[in-house]
This record gives sequence, C-alpha cells and structure tokens, in this order.
Amino acid sequence: MVIPIMLGVVIIVFSLSFLAPGDPVSTALGEGYTQEQYDAQAAYMGLDKSYIEQLVSYLVNLVTKFDLGKSYFSIIPIETELAARFPVSAMLGLFGIALTVLIGIPLGIFSAIKQYSVLDYGLTAIAMIMAAIPGFVLSILCVVLFGVQLRWLPLVGLDTPKHWILPVATSAFPGIAGMMRMTRTTMLEVIRQDYISTARSKGLKENVIIVKHALKNCLIPLVTIIGGSVAMVLSGSIIVENIFSIRGIGTYMYSGISSSDYPVVMAGVLVISFVVCIVNLLVDILYAFIDPRIKTIYGTRMTNRKKPAVLPGAASEVV
Amino acid sequence: MHGHLVKERKELDLRALENMAVKKTLWQDVLARFLKNKSGIAGFVIVVIMILLILFAPLLTRFDYDAQSFPDRFLYPSSLHPFGTDNFGRDLFTRMLYGGRISFMIAIIATFISAVIGTIFGSAAGYFGGVVDTIISRFLDIMMAIPGLLLAIAISAVLGPGPINTAFALSIGGIAMSARIIRATVMAIKTNEYIEAAKATGSRNFRIIRKHILPNTIAPLIVNSTMSIGGSIMGIAGLSFIGLGVKPPTPEWGSILNVGRDYIRDFWPMTVFPALFIMLTIFGFNLLGDALRDALDPRLKD
Amino acid sequence: MNLLEIKGLTIHYAMRANTVHAVNNVSLVIEPGQTLGLVGETGAGKTTTARGIMRLIQTPPGKIVSGEILFEGVDLLKISSAEMRSIRGKSISMIFQDPMSALNPILTVGEQIAEVIHLHEKCSKREAEERSREMLEMVGIRPERAGEYPHQFSGGMKQRVVIAIALACSPKLLIADEPTTALDVTIQAQVLDMMRELKDKLNTSMLLITHDLGVVAETCDAVAIMYAGEIVEYGSLERLFHNPKHPYTLGLFGSIPSLDKDTDRLNPIRGLMPDPSALPKGCKFRERCDYACDECRKEEQSLREIEPGHTVRCMRVAGGVLNG
Repeated sequence: MVIPIMLGVVIIVFSLSFLAPGDPVSTALGEGYTQEQYDAQAAYMGLDKSYIEQLVSYLVNLVTKFDLGKSYFSIIPIETELAARFPVSAMLGLFGIALTVLIGIPLGIFSAIKQYSVLDYGLTAIAMIMAAIPGFVLSILCVVLFGVQLRWLPLVGLDTPKHWILPVATSAFPGIAGMMRMTRTTMLEVIRQDYISTARSKGLKENVIIVKHALKNCLIPLVTIIGGSVAMVLSGSIIVENIFSIRGIGTYMYSGISSSDYPVVMAGVLVISFVVCIVNLLVDILYAFIDPRIKTIYGTRMTNRKKPAVLPGAASEVV
Repeated sequence: MHGHLVKERKELDLRALENMAVKKTLWQDVLARFLKNKSGIAGFVIVVIMILLILFAPLLTRFDYDAQSFPDRFLYPSSLHPFGTDNFGRDLFTRMLYGGRISFMIAIIATFISAVIGTIFGSAAGYFGGVVDTIISRFLDIMMAIPGLLLAIAISAVLGPGPINTAFALSIGGIAMSARIIRATVMAIKTNEYIEAAKATGSRNFRIIRKHILPNTIAPLIVNSTMSIGGSIMGIAGLSFIGLGVKPPTPEWGSILNVGRDYIRDFWPMTVFPALFIMLTIFGFNLLGDALRDALDPRLKD
Repeated sequence: MNLLEIKGLTIHYAMRANTVHAVNNVSLVIEPGQTLGLVGETGAGKTTTARGIMRLIQTPPGKIVSGEILFEGVDLLKISSAEMRSIRGKSISMIFQDPMSALNPILTVGEQIAEVIHLHEKCSKREAEERSREMLEMVGIRPERAGEYPHQFSGGMKQRVVIAIALACSPKLLIADEPTTALDVTIQAQVLDMMRELKDKLNTSMLLITHDLGVVAETCDAVAIMYAGEIVEYGSLERLFHNPKHPYTLGLFGSIPSLDKDTDRLNPIRGLMPDPSALPKGCKFRERCDYACDECRKEEQSLREIEPGHTVRCMRVAGGVLNG
C-alpha cells in the first residue's frame, strides 16, 4: 500500500525536476561549445533520452544504488551529502516532536478536563495565538529576544546542549497548538462517552476514571496525527536550520533553492516525503498494537490460518 | 361530538409544527450562532480591517511602494513614516499595505483554485464511488504524502518566483484537503435516504449532485477555505522568506522580513512590522474560520 | 423502613438561553425487594431522576435544586462525595440505556467487572478476577471469555456484562434505565428473565425505567407514570393496570395495539410533550387532554389519592368528575 504511494511521489518529484527551467547541459559545459560537445555532454548526463526512459533510469538508480541524481554545481553526490546531514536533522526532528507531544498533549488534557474554566479559555486562547505565529517568524523573534537582547542562548551551530534549546523549541512550537487542540477535542469526546458514565456509576474516583478509562482511549487516535507533526517539523527544518546555521538537510535544500540547483531541491523533497511515509506506516502498525479492536482482527486472522476447524464457542456469538 | 373536536386539534398541531420549522431558515440560525461567538466577531473585525487597509492603500499613503530615497534609509517610526523606512529608504507603511494586496490576492486565488478543483475531484470520487473513487483517492494519497510546504517549494522552484506562480504552487497542496472533505461530505449525504428517493423518482445524476449534494457541501467548504486563506498567507510569507514566492522589489511581508533579518541587531522595524502583520492576519482568519465552523455545526463545539 | 424514599426532588439544567425544568417535585418510594417501574415518554425526566439518585447529574449545567433522597434513612444529597462514591456500585448500581457504548473498548470485560469488585470489597486482585468470572457465569457467559474485549460480544451479551458489573457487589438497589430498549425483542425477553432471576436470588430492589408497558407488566410490583418532569399517576401494578385513571395513562394504554381486536389505525396520544424549558402553568398535560377544562389551566395540579395506594395528579379524576 505504501509502495505505490512512494512510487507516485517519485514520479511527481521527477516530473517536476524534468520540467524545471534551465539547461543543465549548457551549465555544465560553460562558455562556448559545439553542437557535438553538447550532444556528447547530454548523452553523458543521460539527458538526451525521452521522458519515460529518463524516469525509468531514475527509478532504477534510485532503488538499486540510492542514487538521487547529480547536483548541478557540486561534485559530491547528492545522496552522500544527504546521508551525512541526515542524522542531525533526524535528531532535531525527534526532539522537536517529543517536545510537541510532551507539551501539547498534557495541556490539551487539562483543558478538556477543566472545560469552561479560566484555565481552559486561557489555554485555548494561547493555542490560537501560537497557531498564528509561523515558524520562521518565531525563529527570528527568538533570535532577537534570546540571542541578541538577552544574550541567554547561543545562536549558531549545535556544539553544546545549550545550543539545542532554541532550534528544538522553534521546531516544536508550530505543532504544539495543533496537538493541544486535537487532544482537547478527543478528550472531550471521550469524556462524553457512555462508558465513562458506567465508570462513574461504579463509584470510582474522578482521577482514576481519567487515567484508567479516559486517557488511553484519548491517546490512541492522537497517534495518527504524529505523521502530520513529523511532516511539519521536517519541512520547517529548512528555515530553522538556516537561521541557526545547523548543518542538516534543511540548509542543504536551502542552498539548493538559492542557487536553483533543482536536483538537490527535488532530492530533499523526495527524502523528506519518504520519511513521512515511513513514519505513517509505522504509526499504522503501532495503532494495530495499541487498539484492542484492531489487535483482535489481526489475532483472529492469525489463529484462523493455523486452526482448521471452527472454534466451538463461535456459535454463541450469535446471541 | 367529541370526534370532530379532536380532529380539529390535530390539524392545528400539525400547522404549529410546520411553522416552527419554517420560521428560522438555516442561514439565519448560522448567523445567530456566529454573532454569539465573541472571538469569531473579533476575527471578522481583524480581517475586515486588514481588507480595508489594503483596499484603500492609495488613499492612506502618498508614497510609492518602490520609491527609493537614500538619505532616508533606516528611519525609525515617525509621523511622516508611521512604520519607518527600509534599507532603500522606502516607506515601510506603504510597503506593508501594498504587500498585503499581493498576499491577499495570491491567497485568494490559491484558495479558490484548490477549492474548485478539490470540489470537482472530491464530488466525483464521493458520488460515483468504485473505480473512479479508487483512482482519485490514490492520487490524493500521493499528493498528501508530500508535505504541503515542500510541494509548494518544489513547484515554486520549477515555475520560478512571481505572484501567479506562487498562487499556483500553493493551490496544489490544498487540493487534496478540499477534495477529501468534499468526498467525505458527499459520501455521507449519498447514503441519505432522500437521495435514494430522488433517484427513485428518476432524477439524473448531475441534477442530484447539483441540487441536493452540493448545497450541503458549502458549509465545510467555507470553513476549510477560510482556514486555507490563513494558511496560504503563511505559505506565501514562508516562500518569499526563502527566496521563492515574490521577489523584491515587489513588496511582500515575508520577503521584507527576510531582508530585515540582516539588519536585525540594529534596526527592528524591518522585522517587527512584517511579523506583526503576518501574525495578526493569520490570527484573524483562524478565529474567523473557527467561529464559522462552530456556527455551521454546533454539535462539533463540545 | 423503605429502602429508597425520594421526596420533592427537583432538578434543573441551566442552559445558555433558558432553564430546562427536567424534574419537578418528584416523590417516590421503593421498599426492600420491590421493583418500581418508572414509565414515560422520551424526555419525561426519567433518566434525569435516575441520575439524580446516583448524584451523577453533570454540574454545570445541571443542578439538584431541592428535595431529599433517603436511602436507608440517609439523605444522599447531604453526604460527602467520598461517601457517595462508596455507595455507587456497591449499594446502588445503575445500568444505562445503550449497551453498545456502555463498556470501555480498551479493557477486557473481565477487567471491567473485577474493577468494581476490587474497588468495594476487601479482596485481592486475584480474588476479584475470580469473582468476576463467577459473575460472567451467572449472567450466562462462558467464564473463559473474561479476557475478551467488548467489541467481541453482541449487543445482548454486552448488556449481560453490564448487568454483571452492576450486580457484582450485590447492591440493594439496582436502577435500570431502559435496559432492553436497544435490544431485539427476543433478546429482550432473555435479558429480562435473567434480571428477574438474579433479582430474586439476591433480593435486590429495582427501579426499572421504561416506556414499554409490557415490560412493566412482567417485572414490576409498583408503577409510577411520569410526564413533563412530574409523577402523574402512582400505585401498585394491579391498581394501575386494572384501574388506570389519569388521562395520560389512559392514552398510553389506549395506544397499545390489541391482538384480539381488528383495527385499522393506531391511537396515538395527539400532540407533543411541552418544552421542558417553557412548561405551561397548571396541568402540564392539558394541551393533549380530551377532558381538559379552564380550571386545569389555572391551578397547579397535585397528587391526590383516589383509592388506597393509588394516587393521580388530575383534579378532574380525583374530583370525581371523570370516571375512566
């Protein structure tokens, strides 16, 4: 299921690259060249073939050699560069998501439990304001406030733990409002459910009800939006890494954009999309494990494959 | 004697019920609910003020947005220049207002395109189902697999900078979302009995779509579009910030912010004012979109 | 002593635009081992009354405005939250209307039954699990299924689990809010039989809320008819079924299709129940009543005894003007 989607992404990204303006052949040749030289260079770069042929060879290269194309301006293969920079971006992304989840979800839960209270209205208002601040705006404001005016935090690179604070915080920030909001909505729905009334009628304490009955039911659907959060954090890395001069995928893509190095830009888009796809796949699998309703579907499928006869208790299911 | 009294009463009751149903039309209800929502009104006010500011820009300022004046560079806010001047001596207030024109125009075009195309795809997928739905849905899945901003960047990189190109680049990402919403709405309504009734009386497919299904899709479409405009403005600013989108000297909040970055330590107006305008506008649209959503479907509120 | 005595219970919901008068001055009595049927249309206030007894009214916007709820002599409205919690699930249990959503989907049925046992009885987790399996058997479910999840059971079986939870600690009073309404007729009979059996075995009193007079006839000892937040007729099963007096009660009985007679049309009670946020003065039923007169509009009606153990809220009946 994931593979056709990834295939489609590759096709789209490649097609965009194909349509990009500029002529890599003449750029590579520089000044003054003959038609023969042009043809030879084109053949060498594989750019004399038709769209389909180029697409196929791109795909083949991608799958067999992880070849993401050649940069217009640098000799270093794109995939090498990306591989080197990936760990940093991944770490940044991971911490960013962790922060989004650790701040967003608890606040959303409090907001829901104390609906209509001052806390609820306050948090909702804060979430609305946070949602209106784009990542790049926040980054700049943070730089001005914490780096320049107050001089509390370092602004360049990732040498010490202190260096990580601002980049991670600004990566996480845009996603917190959405997470808070989603959590609040889900939790409110859960609290309204009949099984919570049943739990109350048993005489359980409210805290126990929230933790034991409501919480897990609330967290399960939230898992599905982690994919979206990952996408947001990774796309934001283009700007965040740039502002804090971090050597990751984001700055690589930024330089590609600035210099119209299309293969680099497209490769970056491809890689990030792949990561998001894989994360979504993992989320789906995780979901199957934590939701008993899905778990049993897979469980019965498995046992049915092993046991030939129908289970004797099955008949009583009818009533 | 008793019987006819009972019959009369029955008729009166029915009429009373009918009156109750007709009295408040759907839109009056929606408006009433919306007006009760304070934050929604605040959002509406903000949006209206923004629109007025940019519409009446020529009246509000006598400077040209690209009138450079070297002696007047980096002036702080004053009565002559309410927001100060930029690195080329251009009046920032003027550039904010005209930049707003660009942003709004691009955002509206982008949202419109994605809404129209999304509705076409979504209603086709939802109504016809089967193979049509599968193909369209797979296509939408692929579109959604690429994060919106990245897709816009990729397309922008290919098309190049400029307002129309940017509008186009941003619209593509929004298609999938609109299509999804429309598809879900159409599928939900399709299974309603009154559609079966319409089919049973012989209405043709297109008529059914137009008359029964589309009116019901207006509500989620409006909400989505409002939020989408806010998102587009953020996207435009973001794209301009990284060098795509709209390039100087055309004024645009994001690109002004980008240039202001270089002067951040010494001259705050070039960063603060664009940032404020961006945030305020998005905030207004978000509030408005939220309030619209609550007004159109109050069940979703709690 | 009566097990449960409700005196003048009034519950309101303060909504944004208006106040919903859900329950108005309701008084009921349930003796030990007795089953009281609370009958009425949707919106009459039956569920609110039941939740009021359990103090499970959502506040805000709900509020128990006045009244007393005496359970074994103790006013439940005056005890602390902690004390009320110790009563819920142990001395008074409630089962809600829709079995499909009454169970937590992420916990096994065994866990959900054991939970209430472990909470109220002084026993270990292991013992609680053991007893939860016993309860499953008691309601007719194989104890091996204790480790399964609610979605693996049908509606009827889910309701049995709910009943098992409610009866696990042998409560003195069981409040059953339309326990069979959401079930098929055949399952309905099974569940009712089972409830009756268990009730007799454990000598539990029951407040059975329903709109189905057939169910009432099968299971109840006494009946209270509720309309627009008030009790309009109240008495033993025999009295009420043999000698119904209130025009609303007559309407209810009259609307039941008869198996012997050959009729073309059903006889519904015309009109609708008044809006609980805008209740009319005087008799709440007068708009739909064929016997209403001017007096009915002016005076608030009160419950009057027309024969021993049988009260009616209607001046025209109690005044001897009407005779069924």
